[in-house]
Amino acid sequence: MIKILTHVGNFIFLLLLQVLILNHIDFSGYINGYLYVLFILLLPFETPKWLLLVSAFLMGLSVDIFCQTLGVHAFASVTIAYIRPYLLGIIAPREGYEVGSQPNVNSFGLEWFIRYAVILVLIHHFVLFYTETFKFHQFFITFLRVILSSLFTLILIVLSQLLILKR
Amino acid sequence: MRNFLRLIYSYNFFFLFLVFEGFSLYLIIQNNNFQRARFIEVSHKFSGSIYESMDNIKGYLALRENNRILALENAALKNKLATIRRIIREKKDTLIDTTYHQQYSYFSAKVINNTVSKQYNYITLNKGAVDGVKPDMAVITNTGIVGIVEGVSSNYSTVLPILNRNFKVSGKLKYNNFLGSVSWEGINAEECTLSDIPHHVIIHKGDTVVTTGFSMVFPEGIPIGVITDFNLKNGNFYVIKLRLTCDLRKINYVQVIDNLNKTEQSDLEKKLKHD
Repeated sequence: MIKILTHVGNFIFLLLLQVLILNHIDFSGYINGYLYVLFILLLPFETPKWLLLVSAFLMGLSVDIFCQTLGVHAFASVTIAYIRPYLLGIIAPREGYEVGSQPNVNSFGLEWFIRYAVILVLIHHFVLFYTETFKFHQFFITFLRVILSSLFTLILIVLSQLLILKR
Repeated sequence: MRNFLRLIYSYNFFFLFLVFEGFSLYLIIQNNNFQRARFIEVSHKFSGSIYESMDNIKGYLALRENNRILALENAALKNKLATIRRIIREKKDTLIDTTYHQQYSYFSAKVINNTVSKQYNYITLNKGAVDGVKPDMAVITNTGIVGIVEGVSSNYSTVLPILNRNFKVSGKLKYNNFLGSVSWEGINAEECTLSDIPHHVIIHKGDTVVTTGFSMVFPEGIPIGVITDFNLKNGNFYVIKLRLTCDLRKINYVQVIDNLNKTEQSDLEKKLKHD
């Protein structure tokens, strides 16, 4: 029960952080951080798959409502929620995941977590920026935005995880 | 049929995924139509109030800068008033034209949400239908144009700013009145493009581009941008880069302009089209 509440709290906190602060940070039009994906990354292993999709969709849609880009964030979030179980299967440690553990730095170490986050964030940002542009002209400019924004988001994610780790 | 249902059940994760992606895609496509204005009306009742309280804090921090801008504008207006008074005194004996009336009415609004980093940016204002805001009104600051009102709810309105790939406005070179059309490439929040200026026109870096007043939305002569660069496309028309005179990343208070003659003009022009 407490676990569920933590994730609901996570949802609200990351959503507000995203729409009130991060959406207003932008360096020269290329770098936008989307820290809210951390919510999808941190959902526990035993989350039912349908719940994974539903919560990712709700998160994306909420960000969309504030950004007035209806559907774009929802699309990208659902994509990574779909990929997540398969990815977790691929990068599982040799002894597998312990029951009750969570996909964060505390359980599997920084290196594992960064590998996990890099892949999902890159996919998310790639889908996000290309559905936003909706066409492939200016391909490389959009690509540059994907790379730079992913870096920024990843830095934020790793920093936030280090804060938790210290405690 | 049963087999089909069993198939759906065993692959429920994949099908649920398709349902959600399909729905998102549907939303994205709907988004490009003007139904979005309807949706925004509903969602703004919710998000608008949160943004407004956040903006109260930010507005306080920007007080000093806003005071400075207001003082400058005040001085400029006083100067204008002084010149007009002198002209009126000189023309005391001329007849007062009774058909003269105000064409544009201005009122101020506050920006409570603003994005500049996306391809299709939007601005939210704290005035809505209750305050007399209607779709297709012009939005400017004293430094230049900002955009056009698109969706209106009772207390809030959204503005399609110049930093939106759907935005188009006619502009002209200030010193020789040549017409072109201004749009945004979606790359740089400081820069937009003026196209359709024929190659024989002489242009210089640093020339000002202003609105034409043909669109019934913007009054004539409101600055849009300053020419920073230009080159010929296909040898016939210039592609001109403009630096926007109004920095949309920093706007706080804007003026919304109502064209009081708009219905009259559009009715007359409609009549022409029918004949």
